[in-house]
Amino acid sequence: MKGKRLNLWGWFWAIAAMLYFFIPMYGTLDFSLRMKKGVISLLAYETVLADPQFLASFRYSAIMGLITVTISVLIFVPTIYWIYLRLPKARPIVEIITILPFIIPVIVYVFGLIRTFSGPPFQLTLTPFKTDILITAGYIVLSMPYMFRAIDVGMRAIDVRTLTEAAQSLGSNSFQILFDVIFPNLRIAILSGALICFATVIGELILGDFLVRPALGPYMVLVGRSRAYEPAALAIISYTLTWICLGLIQFFSRGGSTQQQLTGR
Amino acid sequence: MAFLELSHIQKSFAGAVAVEDFNLSVAQGEFISFLGPSGCGKTTTLRMIAGFELPTSGQIMLSDNDLTYLPPNKRNVGMVFQSYALFPNMTVAENIGYGLKVAGKLKAEINQRVQEMLALIHLEEFGARYPARLSGGQQQRVALARALAFHPQVLLLDEPLSALDAKIRVELRHEIRRIQQQLGITTIYVTHDQEEALSLSDRIVVMSQGKIEQVGTPSEIYNFPSTEFVAKFVGQINLLPVQVIDAKKGVVRLGGQTMRAGQFGHLNGNSIRLAVRPEELNPGFVEGANNLTGKVEAITYLGSIIRISVDVEGYPIHLDVFNERKLKIPATGESYQLTFPIEACWLL
Repeated sequence: MKGKRLNLWGWFWAIAAMLYFFIPMYGTLDFSLRMKKGVISLLAYETVLADPQFLASFRYSAIMGLITVTISVLIFVPTIYWIYLRLPKARPIVEIITILPFIIPVIVYVFGLIRTFSGPPFQLTLTPFKTDILITAGYIVLSMPYMFRAIDVGMRAIDVRTLTEAAQSLGSNSFQILFDVIFPNLRIAILSGALICFATVIGELILGDFLVRPALGPYMVLVGRSRAYEPAALAIISYTLTWICLGLIQFFSRGGSTQQQLTGR
Repeated sequence: MAFLELSHIQKSFAGAVAVEDFNLSVAQGEFISFLGPSGCGKTTTLRMIAGFELPTSGQIMLSDNDLTYLPPNKRNVGMVFQSYALFPNMTVAENIGYGLKVAGKLKAEINQRVQEMLALIHLEEFGARYPARLSGGQQQRVALARALAFHPQVLLLDEPLSALDAKIRVELRHEIRRIQQQLGITTIYVTHDQEEALSLSDRIVVMSQGKIEQVGTPSEIYNFPSTEFVAKFVGQINLLPVQVIDAKKGVVRLGGQTMRAGQFGHLNGNSIRLAVRPEELNPGFVEGANNLTGKVEAITYLGSIIRISVDVEGYPIHLDVFNERKLKIPATGESYQLTFPIEACWLL
């Protein structure tokens, strides 16, 4: 009887949460389809997708996202691997550092970046290329909590130390261990981190806005100020992209269990 | 000159001594077991041979080459881990061939060696499988093949059977010995299981608290333990606190009952103990042997063996007898006479 009551409460809260999430979503979707008076149409989407500024800003953010993901993976995988192998006591400190982007407001961080890098000796705001370097570094920091956690969970699932020692005893050097053993066994963790990192960059507003780069976030705000239906269409497109990313994580995670094994000491 | 020589090896972790003055010479093709309880330094010593730990002092020589500070990937030493440590992203064949691939061998040579190894471990049909699709015993066989495939000079096994169930453990134990003898590879085997060490090894190194207690053949270790620790750790033993009556003849007394020890050195000090294995004791009285009388305390069934615990002068003595159908089992509290030959006991 008690279990049944708990079950009912569980359903109640699940449905309440879904309504809380889906009613505004449905409202946005419905509104985005009513650009043509009295008719349901995709006109708002057509207008957004036909806008060369949208495509340029989307392309820019997508490229930045890919660069951010690549550099993040190359930084975080060897770093976390090294922490697990040689500096396990440093892990809590690194973990705290990685959550700093959640503690320090992005606006404060951006002002810090501009103040530090707009003058010598590291002047990175003079040309678009240099600013792109700065914005990429900013994106890496902002996506750090997600990337760190994804790889950290992946590292925990495999016995990094024993696998490393096994590879060493077979004659592998550090480079071979990293690329033959560690990276392939972190495939799913890296993919999860990469997709969340990519979604973060695609939707990021403040860095793009204050460093005056043609990113998707500032474009969406700009459209929102001057138009009514297109921002709703953009919001739906943005959600869809995020869901595709989450769907891909789920899809690839399913195959992971077949290649995982316990290597506890 | 020994094939593998460990001289005055010392290892400390943050001031705590893990291994102390470890000296051992291993001949080529020999099977040596490091036996001891948890924390005795056996795995640390093995890891120093593998290169995963560096000795605080001392020297490790392998075939006249100084290995002491050589990185693990330059030592040509194969290692099998307790947790198998197979690479989950590689198939069985890829795992076995990985050492050869790293060494830059040709694909044809790798394939041929992988097939040889698969045949050696009787897993010819499993080359294309991933480790997660194998049982624990099969995974450990693959780990063994992987450690042997690249022709290492020494094979190290760190409690390789601990994670397996009892039946598989016995099967794989024979398999390891067969392969080791077939290939004639020098092997160091770490275990805390005395039965494993006794059944596998040419020689056993018994360790306690970072030090070697005794090195010897399984028979020497079991029948002639040199310290109380070895006597207690390997097999079951009765240790009786006795008083020396005649130091020259090895005559001792337990309460009001006298006995003679077969082996005894220079007897001095008060803490003399008479040691005798439970299987050396028999019920009854034999003229000219050591004979004791006590009361039956407990009867324990151990399958093929029945252990009778007898209280003699306030000390428990265990006696192992074969569980034969005709055996008359004494009742608890019953007066019981037991006997053992003089040469079956010794003083520690």
